[in-house]
Amino acid sequence: MRILAIETSCDETAVAVVEDGRRIRANVIATQLAHQATGGIIPEVAAREHLRSIDPITDKALRDAGVELKAVDAVAATVGPGLVGCLLVGANYGRGLALAAGLPFIGVNHLEGHVYANWLYDTEDVPPEPELPAVVLVVSGAHSDLVLMEAHRRFRLLGRTIDDAAGEAFDKVARLLGLGFPGGPEIERAAKDGNPSAYPLPKAWLADRYDFSFSGLKTATLRLVRSLEEKGPVPVGDVAASFQKAVVDALAEKTARAVAEHGVRSVMLGGGVAANTALRAEIQRRVAVPLRVPPLRLCTDNGAMVGAAAFYSLRHRGPEMPAGVRSNLPLA
Amino acid sequence: MSALLALDTSTEWASVAIYDGTAVLGEETWHAQRRHAEELFPTIERILSHTRVPMASITKIAVATGPGSFTGLRVAIAAAQGLARGSGATLVGVSTLDVLAYPHASSKLRTCPLLPAGRGEFYAALYQERNRKWARRSPFIVGPLLDICRQIGTHTLFVGEIDAEAESTLRDLLGPLALFAAPASRMRRAGYLAELGWTEIAERKQQPLGALEPIYVRQPAAGGTFAQPFAAPPADDQALGLPKRPS
Ligand SMILES: [Zn+2]
Repeated sequence: MRILAIETSCDETAVAVVEDGRRIRANVIATQLAHQATGGIIPEVAAREHLRSIDPITDKALRDAGVELKAVDAVAATVGPGLVGCLLVGANYGRGLALAAGLPFIGVNHLEGHVYANWLYDTEDVPPEPELPAVVLVVSGAHSDLVLMEAHRRFRLLGRTIDDAAGEAFDKVARLLGLGFPGGPEIERAAKDGNPSAYPLPKAWLADRYDFSFSGLKTATLRLVRSLEEKGPVPVGDVAASFQKAVVDALAEKTARAVAEHGVRSVMLGGGVAANTALRAEIQRRVAVPLRVPPLRLCTDNGAMVGAAAFYSLRHRGPEMPAGVRSNLPLA
Repeated sequence: MSALLALDTSTEWASVAIYDGTAVLGEETWHAQRRHAEELFPTIERILSHTRVPMASITKIAVATGPGSFTGLRVAIAAAQGLARGSGATLVGVSTLDVLAYPHASSKLRTCPLLPAGRGEFYAALYQERNRKWARRSPFIVGPLLDICRQIGTHTLFVGEIDAEAESTLRDLLGPLALFAAPASRMRRAGYLAELGWTEIAERKQQPLGALEPIYVRQPAAGGTFAQPFAAPPADDQALGLPKRPS
């Protein structure tokens, strides 16, 4: 089964063609550059860009895959969570495409997409499917969600951030330290030469729960940098390493606790922050089950992950998707 | 058979119609509020079924391009682009204000369609027959009614989404110069959009799909970087003419 899948929940216009939920035939991603000048995403600007890009990107995905629309079996699009104005572009374009071509339309939860990115491949060899049940940690500039996947399409949200997303905290601290954007890779690079125990920073989690909170950590880091500035040049490496350790500890600690409590058979990561090597190492150090991480281009928002989730959504019944779009669509 | 599907989600009011070049075969106009995304496709499917026009017969699509609610406009435009890509139909965009003014061409009155633009402001444009040609005679305007009325020196027929408050403001500002169409004939109906779209396609080359851009008029709030030109009125030869009716 061949699915044409659309993702427009944030600032990437992405369309993919995926076979049987796993094999990527095409995966076209247009990252909007308009936001770099403003240093943040303006929803109206993003939605305008999506509308300009969606049709040419779809055309390119079909050409990359070497298939005509006739050879596609279903159309899928993200219907939430995300920015409503952005979601509306991909969802309505997808519905129109499906109606005109006489194909079923599948609305997809964006977070399910990040989870199912772990099923994708574009290599010659077919990698084994991840083992279930599993704990999935989705961390990016938009998400910090800890999910229990009991079986296909049976998800339980264990915890999430109650304020900033992890990636957002990386971006803000990177800016504070005069590093570039996106903050994740910049902090990681700076932290390599730093001492992670140089400065004690508060924990970024809530006791007794699986929820995260990064705003206190961010404020404490700001205060630390201000006080260091008074004494002389800020030891950027030490601050970056201490901050990264606090974030990684929070994410790894909660992930490991969920693995132990639910006796799962694997751990999966998703979202741009999954690229952080310190995070991967710390999680693997704390858990005994195998850790799966998709390649970076499939960790960040893309259409292929939507195609994978759509395939399993057709195969395994699960939560009904809304007729329209929902900015805060829950996972389960 | 060849038919045109017309879609309009420019404001809280939405409308869908099917037209075969001679008659509007079916039309639905409703107060969708903010539920366009939920209600547009069920409405399209219902009208296709009621008119017994199969999707395969839709060879033309017309969509309202604003000005109007940015989010609302994008619902129908994205849907229309997907429908056109999936069916190979010819797609054309028509200004929402052109659609509103069009049925009043025969009144011979200067006509000013109004649509809410938020913050108490309105989108507007002025239409008038000159040398037996009906056309938009002003750029697209956005602003409070006071500013819009400054451009009005003669009897003007107001149509569009005018609530009681706006009507009384216009009467205060213009006195007897302000004329109002009956509420039912002020409404924006996709049947008119369909007729205009049909003529547009017949008379002009097809717009490439990607070139269909909403008429935003206003910049995005907070530091937007797009240079959306303030749309100038069309040249006379490009101006909206009365469509040729089959004789
Ligand atoms: Zn995401």
